[in-house]
Amino acid sequence: MYEGIRSPAIHVPKSMTDLLSATSRFPNAIYWAGGTYIMSRHDYYPTKDSNDIISLNEIPDLKRINRTDRYLEIGSMVTISQLLQIGKQVLPDPLTQTLQALGTRIIRNQATIGGSLCTGDLRLAISGTLAVLRTEIEIKKLDAPRSDSRWITTGKLYDRSGALTLDKHEMITRVRIGFDREDFSIFLSAGNPMYNPQESVNLALVCSYNQSVITNFRFCFTMPTGGFHQFQDIEVLARGTMLPFSPNHIARLAKMLGEAIDNSHVTVSLLQKERAKRFFEVALHQLNTQSLIER
Amino acid sequence: MKIECTIDGKRILLTVNSNKPLNSILMEDVEQSNFNAKCSDGNCGNCVVLLNDTAVLSCLIPAFRLRNAHVLTFEGYRRTRFWHDIERAYEDAKSHPCPLCHASKTLIFESLLRTIGKTEEKESTDSNLDDEAVVKELGLNRCMCLEANEIIEIFNSAANYRRRRRVRRN
Ligand SMILES: Cc1cc2nc3c(=O)[nH]c(=O)nc-3n(C[C@H](O)[C@H](O)[C@H](O)COP(=O)(O)OP(=O)(O)OC[C@H]3O[C@@H](n4cnc5c(N)ncnc54)[C@H](O)[C@@H]3O)c2cc1C
Repeated sequence: MYEGIRSPAIHVPKSMTDLLSATSRFPNAIYWAGGTYIMSRHDYYPTKDSNDIISLNEIPDLKRINRTDRYLEIGSMVTISQLLQIGKQVLPDPLTQTLQALGTRIIRNQATIGGSLCTGDLRLAISGTLAVLRTEIEIKKLDAPRSDSRWITTGKLYDRSGALTLDKHEMITRVRIGFDREDFSIFLSAGNPMYNPQESVNLALVCSYNQSVITNFRFCFTMPTGGFHQFQDIEVLARGTMLPFSPNHIARLAKMLGEAIDNSHVTVSLLQKERAKRFFEVALHQLNTQSLIER
Repeated sequence: MKIECTIDGKRILLTVNSNKPLNSILMEDVEQSNFNAKCSDGNCGNCVVLLNDTAVLSCLIPAFRLRNAHVLTFEGYRRTRFWHDIERAYEDAKSHPCPLCHASKTLIFESLLRTIGKTEEKESTDSNLDDEAVVKELGLNRCMCLEANEIIEIFNSAANYRRRRRVRRN
């Protein structure tokens, strides 16, 4: 039935050293984490030119979870379920909510944190949430005979259109989540990125304030096929504002957000843009409510 | 690629492409298999099987992950005693999934029933199985033949049977 279909070679390195040598010997092989994204592409199988595969599943370094008093460090092959098992006390709230919204348990048992950050043409909610939490990502460049590493913030992993900025032979090895908490955080999500990517929108927003004056304000929108949006001008404008925001102020910021999305030149559907504006308003109203309750 | 694994209790030697999805293997390479789910991109949720006792979408499992694995399809599962808990729950609720999604929905229910004991042992952010969570989990199978209230009724009833079974065993 499938004549001429090549059976790709599978390489299963057992250590980072093995991985380095597999990458240099098979430069066109793809990294395989949970495989949920790779296998859900419409052209996955059968196809004539499947690349060889490097399975990351048996490298203990990539499955490690370390906790210090300042941060949690997770290997890229830790699954979403394993991450959730760490528990609410340790994970920041918006991250817990983001992970719980990622598919169902059957998917979360298989999908990994590294794979979720590297889904080629789909930008998932987890990228935005990790970006506003200022999570750091360790990138390893596997160019034999050496491998170099560097740490970057999640926001640097994508350009504005949402495209991954990783070079060939670069991979994510660890994710570091700090324990600093902001005073307010929210995660809002609509639509499933796999079933209706042109409708789905996710917002993660965090804020800190001191005597009702905003000292820190960060937010990120992810839209599966419509990019990764952090708008620093709006963040800067919000900082220094006295809470609560007035209804006019909220309407002005939401309007600015709409214009910023238009100016980003990324294809965003009308529904996504409308949802983004509404989510932003909801987040600001909830921030108002929390700040008033605490007075 | 040659792979030895166990499918519904039978040891099998497969010769398949290394990246072939398990659902296609079950339909094309395993003799006497009644498995029938040709979705191949995770979008319909009609191909759930148990892989080493954990529910998976078989269209998202490549052949190379099957080495020495134990696969249980619905055909094999319905020969186990666990099936009766769900079968009786369908009777109690007087609602059954349609023939197209019956196997997958049943195996999703089974995977949820297996987490009940674990939930009581360990407090994890992914173990909270309230009604909303049960309905969401079943939503992986996109067939809309059961209403949310029917799903909840079936699950609660099956969970009662399962708890009683555990108490008897202990
Ligand atoms: C049925 C279904 C429902 C879903 N629902 C949701 C949902 O509701 N919300 C949501 O956010 N997502 C959803 N998803 C998407 C899911 O989150 C992704 O498929 C998953 O996170 C990818 O992780 P993985 O480990 O399986 O990656 P893989 O599929 O293994 O890999 C994904 C990509 O990343 C690359 N890669 C993997 N690891 C690394 C690494 N360490 N360094 C560099 N590159 C790497 C791979 O080469 C590949 O290109 C759903 C998916 C399915 C199939």
